[in-house]
Amino acid sequence: MNKAKVFKLAKGFRGRAKNCIRIARERVEKALQYSYRDRRNKKRDMRSLWIQRINAGTRIHSVNYGNFMHGLMKENIQLNRKVLSEISMHEPHSFKALVDISRNAFPGNKNVVHAPRKVAMPLSV
Amino acid sequence: MASSSTLSLCSSLASRCRLSHNPKAHHPHLSPSISFSPSKASVAPLPSLKLAPSKPSSCSFTAKSSESDAPVIEFAPEPAEPEPAPEVPSPSDAPKREEVFAVVMIGSRQYIVFPGRYIYTQRLKGANANDKIILNKVLLVGTKTSTYIGKPVVPNAAVHAVVEEQGLDPKVIVFKYKKKKKYRRNIGHRQPNTRIRIMGITGYQDSPAVTLDS
Repeated sequence: MNKAKVFKLAKGFRGRAKNCIRIARERVEKALQYSYRDRRNKKRDMRSLWIQRINAGTRIHSVNYGNFMHGLMKENIQLNRKVLSEISMHEPHSFKALVDISRNAFPGNKNVVHAPRKVAMPLSV
Repeated sequence: MASSSTLSLCSSLASRCRLSHNPKAHHPHLSPSISFSPSKASVAPLPSLKLAPSKPSSCSFTAKSSESDAPVIEFAPEPAEPEPAPEVPSPSDAPKREEVFAVVMIGSRQYIVFPGRYIYTQRLKGANANDKIILNKVLLVGTKTSTYIGKPVVPNAAVHAVVEEQGLDPKVIVFKYKKKKKYRRNIGHRQPNTRIRIMGITGYQDSPAVTLDS
């Protein structure tokens, strides 16, 4: 690609990498390689984030993520993790309904999770 | 739309659905007979996605739900308030849009949809501009007081939508490079997509619901 395109892609780079073509070209190529790799990593990272959010949401209701998903799979509810994490954030009542369904679908769940206790830390500590 | 905290998924969907309020334009037409009206099928291919078997695989409603790349959703933590808490009187929207949302599966991806907003989906073949579309794979419907959870689908629920335009995603540069091996490939790619605007959500009233006692 010609120099103008390289400089356009090199905006925001550090030091001479945004101004001098020899350095900018190397850095831009590296940046494009990273973006190729990270388009694949983004899918993994997002799924991990959704799972963390769902976990946090269900633990408020004393269920952990594994049992929650197991209960949903048993009930043949096919909501994916993206949507479940959104619901857990913004629609707490719908999410509680889902947690209840999952809890009932999987009785004998000995692993009752207690909600994390929030300890009021004095600021001076 | 952001007046109620329970239906405030709008903030998270900002990256995909810009707030598309047309106060005068859209009244949710909740006539379920849209899918059967021959007047809409002026062109031979009926745009209704109910006729799934005849459609190519791009809109196949396979049961797998994929975690394909969603746009980065900014985290807007909402404390779980009890329902009567938001007493803020809603600013006057001229037509009162019904406060309901649904989770619908299109092209093996799931979207949270609101009436009156648009979403970008994968390219729906055979859909032209201003076609009415009915989406049958509704996995969850939520209103202010009750939630209808589908196992896996909410029976008889349908989401009515209109195809707005068939465009392309922004360009992605696919750059492949192997060092010291003189291998480099520079390819640009624009994925075709379809923008559809959601008109209304119907048909969920008779399903078993989880209702709040409030």
